[in-house]
Amino acid sequence: MKRMALTVTFTLLAAAQAQRVATPVPIGVAVAQTSNTALLGQEQVIGARFAEKFLNARGGIGGTPIKLVFQDAAGDENSAINAFQNLITKENVVGIVGPTLSQQAFAADPIAERAKVPVLGPSNTAKGIPQIGQFIARVSAPVAVVAPNAIKQALRLDPKIKKVAVLYAQNDAFSTSETGTFQDTAKAQGLNVATVQKFQTTDTDFTTQVTAVLNAGVDLVIVSGLAADGGNLVKQLRQLGYKGSIIGGNGLNTSNIFPVCQQYCDGIIIAQAYSPAQPSAANQVFVKEYRAQYKKDPPQFAAQAYAGVQVMVEALKAIDRKKKLGTWNLNDLRAELNKQILAGKYNTPLGELRFDKDGEIIQKDFYVAQIKMKDAKTGSFVFLK
Amino acid sequence: MEASQLLQNLLNGLAIGSVYAIFALGYTLVFSILGIINFAHGAVFTLGAYFTYTLVVGQFENNGLLKGVNLFPQGSPLSGNPWAFALATLVGAVIAGFVAVLIERLAFRPMRARGADPLLALVSSLGVALVIVNLIQLLVGAEIYNFPSDAYGEVRPALSFQIGDRVVIVRTVQIIIFAVSLAMLAVLGYVIGRTKVGKALRAVAESPGTASLLGISVDRFILITFFLSGFLGGLAGTLVGTAFGVAGPYFGVTYGLKGLAVIVLGGLGSIPGAVVGGLVIGLAEAFVPADYSAYKDAVAFALLFVILLVRPQGLLGRTQIQKV
Repeated sequence: MKRMALTVTFTLLAAAQAQRVATPVPIGVAVAQTSNTALLGQEQVIGARFAEKFLNARGGIGGTPIKLVFQDAAGDENSAINAFQNLITKENVVGIVGPTLSQQAFAADPIAERAKVPVLGPSNTAKGIPQIGQFIARVSAPVAVVAPNAIKQALRLDPKIKKVAVLYAQNDAFSTSETGTFQDTAKAQGLNVATVQKFQTTDTDFTTQVTAVLNAGVDLVIVSGLAADGGNLVKQLRQLGYKGSIIGGNGLNTSNIFPVCQQYCDGIIIAQAYSPAQPSAANQVFVKEYRAQYKKDPPQFAAQAYAGVQVMVEALKAIDRKKKLGTWNLNDLRAELNKQILAGKYNTPLGELRFDKDGEIIQKDFYVAQIKMKDAKTGSFVFLK
Repeated sequence: MEASQLLQNLLNGLAIGSVYAIFALGYTLVFSILGIINFAHGAVFTLGAYFTYTLVVGQFENNGLLKGVNLFPQGSPLSGNPWAFALATLVGAVIAGFVAVLIERLAFRPMRARGADPLLALVSSLGVALVIVNLIQLLVGAEIYNFPSDAYGEVRPALSFQIGDRVVIVRTVQIIIFAVSLAMLAVLGYVIGRTKVGKALRAVAESPGTASLLGISVDRFILITFFLSGFLGGLAGTLVGTAFGVAGPYFGVTYGLKGLAVIVLGGLGSIPGAVVGGLVIGLAEAFVPADYSAYKDAVAFALLFVILLVRPQGLLGRTQIQKV
């Protein structure tokens, strides 16, 4: 009996010990490091690493450094769920930045919600993400806010546009959400949506869709997909003779698309939630560091991941000022962190941002960029006025 | 459907269908000799594309162990003009052929030597496929690779002509695919139908025991079959990769399944059947109404189901006669 009591006591003590907040403070980053989504996830890893380096150099959280714990969320729902579970139960992270795709967020975020672990989506722009639960917020402006800017800019560049083809990946939650916004905006702008075509993110042959688009005689094609399939679709559109304007959705918003569509990427118009020209001090530091290391401007996905880590760290700092992080029980800290994230105001590379009560981002500025290719391999996003 | 769209779909369907045909021929050759499906054929298809990519580009940038490797700092000698690219494609397909031979030695021959159930060989080939796919992912990452368009050199612009007020355009790569596939089918038809090797292969396929009594080395011809099968699979992989990009290590999975549909549709073990099956499925996919083209894989298999209901032996297959 005595031995049993001792065992129970030790177990409880061990459990209590495990529930303390570790130092350096672990923050989970669950983004795609493999699969075709890794084209986006690689940029997020870079952005998060920059934030870790920069914020630790500035004293971390009241002198305690942070440590990012990366888990590969790949491009599918199961991998994202596994990544979240590992971060929550094995790595004892205080919060999670991730996953990469909205599709994955709908599957993995409920795991964090049940465990009461705050999540910041760095690129989940589909409708309904913050509404998944109280612990779910995002630093990625919803597609319904960002995407319409691309159509307005395309019309500014070519006022003669009348007929539009819309193509989207029907097996991706984000793309299906984004295409709805694009179609509504196109109609609201008085454009005729001549054809709507579906494809899968795993498709490689788009000749059927392209043939239908050419047959419809449109002046503008709007593509909602991911970088690999979307880039390939653009390539085949151009190779089969389409000469009009092309708008890409947020999934195509990465320089990793350049090796996919090569010189045919030239001219794609993409709305942005981020611009390297954003004048905030946080952004200028980020841009300087990024340019020094990669010899190019940082992309939106890197900036959003940076902002995700920064928001979490600043919220932790605010908590630490009231009561030292080391004295918190992990579960209590996670709940407090969630409250603090939603209460704060942050100056990030995306500009000033805060959250509404659901965890939806409130962001001021949006931009539109056009891809300009120098040759088959190198290009850049040129921001349009 | 307008005439221009009809013709465009027809040309698109013939191009992709011809690749399905040469890919499926690899399945058919092995099936006709050993009576089993080699599930590693889709992985060999993927390898063929990666081998050619390595010979033509030799640079790996994604998340694999080979990240940062550049085999040709001065540029690949097998890149920059159509003939160099053709040579790289050929060498890539030959290496894929040798991989198929290796698969036979490691996964099929030991099973055959022990008189194991053919089902076990099938599972064994599935295991080999998974190992290959994971190995590719480990080495070169999971992301898409594209052949740079300057790798082919200055190829002629796409074929285009006017029908009514519409222009029908066929990509250059589609024409190349169709031409290479037709040439391969003609060569293979000649080898199987007219040469001594072909006769020996047919003899082994008909009755390995009798062929052995006639002095034909059955094991040797099984290896030749696997080499031809791997060569065709690897070639198809490069052709598809050139047209649409090498879509990661799982690139061959969909084509593997579709290849199965092709040989069942055409008639198991029938070489003309594989060709007809490939073209039928390619055309069926091309003619799926564009609004539903995201479902074209499902359409291909639905077509297979319907045809098998009417003709269980496939389009050109022979009915099996069971002697009692």
